[in-house]
Amino acid sequence: MTQTLEPYTDSALIAKVKKGDERAFAQLVKRYEQTVWGFAFKLCRNQEKAEESFQDTFINVFRKIDQFDARSKFSTWLYTIVANNCLMHHRKRKLEGLLESLDDAPDPENPEVQKQLAAWDDSPIDTMMNKELREQMDAAIQELPDEYKVVFVLRDLEDKTAEETAKILKLSVPAVKSRLRRSRIFLRHKLHGIMAA
Amino acid sequence: MKHTHTKIHIHTLSCGKVYEHLCDNIDSKLDSESCRRIKAHIKGCTNCSALLDSLKKTVYLYKKYPAPKLPEQSRKKLFAVIHLEKTKKRSAR
Repeated sequence: MTQTLEPYTDSALIAKVKKGDERAFAQLVKRYEQTVWGFAFKLCRNQEKAEESFQDTFINVFRKIDQFDARSKFSTWLYTIVANNCLMHHRKRKLEGLLESLDDAPDPENPEVQKQLAAWDDSPIDTMMNKELREQMDAAIQELPDEYKVVFVLRDLEDKTAEETAKILKLSVPAVKSRLRRSRIFLRHKLHGIMAA
Repeated sequence: MKHTHTKIHIHTLSCGKVYEHLCDNIDSKLDSESCRRIKAHIKGCTNCSALLDSLKKTVYLYKKYPAPKLPEQSRKKLFAVIHLEKTKKRSAR
């Protein structure tokens, strides 16, 4: 009877993969495919690109498994590979100036700012998710430079801590916090038109 | 023009200072002195509380955004490529 590999820890599976065990690799893929797919899709916002990233990530894992030294968690390594794939594939956009300007606190006496700070619709938020809003959300997140988007996705959508995010992206914790703040405010501003009461 | 921001000074923190930390504290349950002061300011400031509320909603909406399932074809394609890689490795030995 074939022994199930499900109870094996990541380290035990990785040790087997390093020795060329194909079943152990398949088990690792099974264990992490949704994580990699979900993260790739949230970053790419495009099924075709997410599939490409999914393939590239696991092929990289297969090719470079000997380089994984187990000092960090396997999932951290996986997130780093997906993020690097995403950052490599996309061109840099010049929104840095705009994002930096979001550091300035809004002047509440400025009528334009008051319009921007108007409270959002109080309707139950789950009932508001429609095609128009989804399109707006897609457009907004696509406008964010990848270096910011990846921080927003890791911190807010994948629920990683600032420290974990910093480790995955090889950034300092203050850099993670600053990029997260700018990303959230940028996205909030982009959705304001459709969400304001 | 009517100033809607009269309670800021009661809490001794400026909106600018709160704005700087607003995102760090979006869902924070921390109970430090600075956190308490920020929360007190937000409670009394219409603009900061509207901004915080909309930031929370922004994050919530993206969390709720439905993601498609991993296509079965994608998994099959991956294992086909891995199989090829293994064959290449073997023949290179």
